[in-house]
Amino acid sequence: MKSIVLASVLLLAGLPVVAHHSFAAEYDGEKPITVKGVITKVDWANPHMHFYLDATNDKGEVEHWKFEGYPPNMLVRQGWKKDMTLKAGDHISVFAWLARDGSKLAHSREVTWSDGKKMQSGPPAGTGGAN
Amino acid sequence: MKPIVIGIILAAALSFAQTKPPVPRTADGKPDLSGVWQGGSLSFAIGEANAARVAPAGGAPAAPAKPQAAPYQEWAAKKVQEFRDRRGIDDPMARCLMVGIPRITSMPMPFQITQVPGQVLFLYEAFHSFRIIPTDGRKHPDDIESSFMGDTVAHWEGDTLVVDVIGFNDKTWLSTVGSFHSDKLHVTERYTRVDFDTITYDVTMEDPEVFTGPWKQRSTIRLRPNERVREYECGENNEDIVRFESILKTDERYKR
Repeated sequence: MKSIVLASVLLLAGLPVVAHHSFAAEYDGEKPITVKGVITKVDWANPHMHFYLDATNDKGEVEHWKFEGYPPNMLVRQGWKKDMTLKAGDHISVFAWLARDGSKLAHSREVTWSDGKKMQSGPPAGTGGAN
Repeated sequence: MKPIVIGIILAAALSFAQTKPPVPRTADGKPDLSGVWQGGSLSFAIGEANAARVAPAGGAPAAPAKPQAAPYQEWAAKKVQEFRDRRGIDDPMARCLMVGIPRITSMPMPFQITQVPGQVLFLYEAFHSFRIIPTDGRKHPDDIESSFMGDTVAHWEGDTLVVDVIGFNDKTWLSTVGSFHSDKLHVTERYTRVDFDTITYDVTMEDPEVFTGPWKQRSTIRLRPNERVREYECGENNEDIVRFESILKTDERYKR
């Protein structure tokens, strides 16, 4: 709901802000997903953070997921710390939107740790322009 | 008696704390725009929860002006729609290029203004962009090479800094997906520090090659106390561009 409200605000703004790229080119705002698993790697790099996660599907197979997020400067402003906030071995669940190409790639919005802590990891869907 | 005096002092202190400081001014009496500022949507830049916490005292941020649709000529409007149909995959910003003006002002990253006699300096976190803007009355040079950020001169009209930008290339977008322009673009920006923590930003975009008339937009720029301009090196690990190339090769909708 929050995302919807924010998206509306952005549409109303005279000059909508956009992230580095057009969200809609790569991701589908109509395909939200929540994935639970264990972090295997974090790339704290510009123009977007990526983190990798192993999740076990219903068949007991391990799926290797990759998620995109904010750039480091914006993560830091939200309280993230490199190598500390999110690290290999962390058990998390991540809310994201799937890539259009059907791969195990998604654009993350929020990470929830096993202790219940939540942090925003990426912008709301659709802020990159036309959907 | 003593407690009463203390009470009065405390009340005065509290009253002072709740009053917004006046707009600072430089020695020549002009508003001093110096500081770290955030244009566009604060919420997007720092998160909804944080934005709520730093919302200016006295209520919600000013309502944005009703956006005016860009007055593209018919052929140009079709081209914009083509860009939109391609979901912004052609966005120059996604290639880590400088985003031009006024788009730089809508980036979700702050910028610093430093005002000194005869010059105003804009230092943007996004894309290492900067502008050294003369305010000493000089005109645009006559040997401008077209560029992403154009050539800028400025002057004061009352309390408003009026910024005139020409000399653009045609490789940036103005704001939303597909909002292209030609190298005849002329941008006029008006920065008015309406109170201590707010600049009203009025921008007029004129381009006889693609528009039927001027395109005017307004947004609000907020002071970011305790913030500093950090680094954003877009080219470090731009995986998007690799994925874009893959999409362009494999997705039927992108084949020309």
